[in-house]
Amino acid sequence: MVRDAQSFDDFYRSTARRMMRYGYAVIGDHTEAQDLVQEAYARAWRQWGRLSSHPAPEAWLRLVVSRLATDRWRRLRSLRGALRLAGPPPTVSPPNEDSVLLVQALRQVPATHRRALALHYLFDMPVEEIAHEIDVPVGTVKSWLSRGRARLAALLPDLAVVELEATDVA
Amino acid sequence: MSRELSELYRSLAADADAADLGVPEVLRHHTDRRARFRAAGGTLAVALVVVGAVIGAQVVTRPPTSVAVPAGTPTPTPTPTPSASPSASVTGAPSSPPVSPTTPGRSPGTSTAPGGTGTQPPRTPTSIPDRAFFAVPSANQTGTAPQFRDEAVLPGLCGADIGSEAVVDRRTRLLIYKLPQTPKGYVPDGTYTHSITIYRAGRADDVLDELRQAVRDCPEQKLPGGDTAVRSRQRLLPDSGFGDESVLFEMRSAGQDVNGDPTGVQDVRLVRAIRVGDVVTILWEQGWEGTSSQRAQVDADGRRAVTAIRRWLG
Repeated sequence: MVRDAQSFDDFYRSTARRMMRYGYAVIGDHTEAQDLVQEAYARAWRQWGRLSSHPAPEAWLRLVVSRLATDRWRRLRSLRGALRLAGPPPTVSPPNEDSVLLVQALRQVPATHRRALALHYLFDMPVEEIAHEIDVPVGTVKSWLSRGRARLAALLPDLAVVELEATDVA
Repeated sequence: MSRELSELYRSLAADADAADLGVPEVLRHHTDRRARFRAAGGTLAVALVVVGAVIGAQVVTRPPTSVAVPAGTPTPTPTPTPSASPSASVTGAPSSPPVSPTTPGRSPGTSTAPGGTGTQPPRTPTSIPDRAFFAVPSANQTGTAPQFRDEAVLPGLCGADIGSEAVVDRRTRLLIYKLPQTPKGYVPDGTYTHSITIYRAGRADDVLDELRQAVRDCPEQKLPGGDTAVRSRQRLLPDSGFGDESVLFEMRSAGQDVNGDPTGVQDVRLVRAIRVGDVVTILWEQGWEGTSSQRAQVDADGRRAVTAIRRWLG
């Protein structure tokens, strides 16, 4: 199937930043998230003939990122060499303290909870939409969000603890 | 909490924004190049299988008197059986008969099993140095050094717990390799979870018995670690010539692409546990993006693993 490079490039430029945020929140490692997101885009390009007509290509990409994060992390180690597209990584500013604390805490939260939390806090997605994307019942998403936040509250004692009600996550 | 957690996520997003993913043109270029390499590798593999089959047929049809087997020639591994599945066609012994394993005498050290290469009882160690793990030959190196990690050493087998209470020490590494015919810089061909475990005196052979039984008791299961309903079928394969004794089994499942759609080929994974005295090493081959385990490579690495362990044990 013919692939339209221009439409892929537009898609990449318009979604890459959000995807990197999502990858970082789900993976918990900056460099690995970078490799993983690049790999997800590489797969998107390989299937762009079909994917370009997908009703929600960005959701498809997030699904790929999630699956790579949970099932295939081993392979990403070596992709670092293959996919390092522009030489060594550029020097970046040290991460801010809040971000480091959150990432460290997220590493101790189950992957399903991290995924739901990322969609909620980074994409402002309502619970129903998260449930649709992950393909689980709404109640499950509410439970993941509630338990994920409770876990983060336990790990980040400076966070103010508030009542976790169903409406809070809906 | 929500508001403050939102602030933390905003900080995380700001950090993520510092990442440079590169421009899409470069990503497309690299992706297409990888795809070409993969296609070239597949063509080469098919060509090698065809050439091997032709040579094999010539050898088989040659009068027996014309074949002189030099002393010390390793026992040939089972010949791959042609199959409708492209991936299965390069994987060893898919149609082998049921296995009747022969277990040598009990460990430790008292065993100099048939097929084993050692003659002296190995001593029982208490810790595992780096040198106990074989060095990856340069032809198999991908440029990524093996990494020691705390990993599961075996795939799930219907929940069986195999010998965990008898472990004295264990180290596990993740090893990424390429086949010798794959040029440097190409996509790797596979990964191993490679472990070495020291068991309490006399328990290592029990562990291999438990493993054989676990494979027999688990002919089919949901693919361990997967998030789909794909089924995996397990079976023992005949095995000899590795350490004091060994267990080889395959896990066969319908291949899936990243979308969870069937690829139409079988994913075949080979797992081999080898006992040397009270030490057991396991090579669990896990492929690379849908590649299946290749028996010749797994055999060669099994021999390397035994050699390194014997050298370590002295």
